[in-house]
Amino acid sequence: MIKLLFFGRLGDVACDAPKLIEANTPAEIRDLLAADFPELGRQLREPQVLVSVNQMIVSWNQPLAAGSEVAFLPPVTGG
Amino acid sequence: MTVRIAIQQEDFNLAEEYEWLRQISPAVGAVVTFSGLVRDFESTDGARNAIDSLSLQHYPGMTESLLQEIVDQAMRRWPLLGVTVIHRVGKLLPAEQIVFVGVASQHRAAAFEAAQCVMDYLKTRATFWKKVDQNGRENWVESKDSDQVARQRWAADD
Repeated sequence: MIKLLFFGRLGDVACDAPKLIEANTPAEIRDLLAADFPELGRQLREPQVLVSVNQMIVSWNQPLAAGSEVAFLPPVTGG
Repeated sequence: MTVRIAIQQEDFNLAEEYEWLRQISPAVGAVVTFSGLVRDFESTDGARNAIDSLSLQHYPGMTESLLQEIVDQAMRRWPLLGVTVIHRVGKLLPAEQIVFVGVASQHRAAAFEAAQCVMDYLKTRATFWKKVDQNGRENWVESKDSDQVARQRWAADD
């Protein structure tokens, strides 16, 4: 299983989305989520949204190992 | 070279942070400190609106490593003696302190530039997200293009 985390505004639209999923790439996770949660899918497809695997920013086609932590990151606004 | 990175709910004390940077080495000839505060909020029409509070979320673990990378990058670029980065999380009220960046070096140019560089990268790379509470309505803060532009001036080292 892959553990999912949603930060910032994505957390609000993902409140009913699963937090564990089976998938091979972040892009596949995005497609699976978009099928059941269209608004979340739309926001995850925005070009500014980044994805990390085990806390490293990666491409959407990065292969995933079981037990990985995938996080969806909207543009950051700290400081 | 001494580095301190902290993500915390509690406030920080500017005088104590300055003292710590001041005493890390007899070679310290310059200390630059920056503090960021909770302020009022511009709406898209340019009007200024008071806020009730600000909530800061972050990605524990990833934020600390990103801040360490940002500081490491500054250390490679300038001859620094000490760097402190403190970022608060949780609920903050107007005029409270949010962020502290302090840089100690032998000469002022390195300290000024490194402090700005660290802040510019922190604002555009570190995994923090702000939510504003205004009259009972909560809104996530949008990122600003001007912050990306500010970071790009350091891009030679990117």
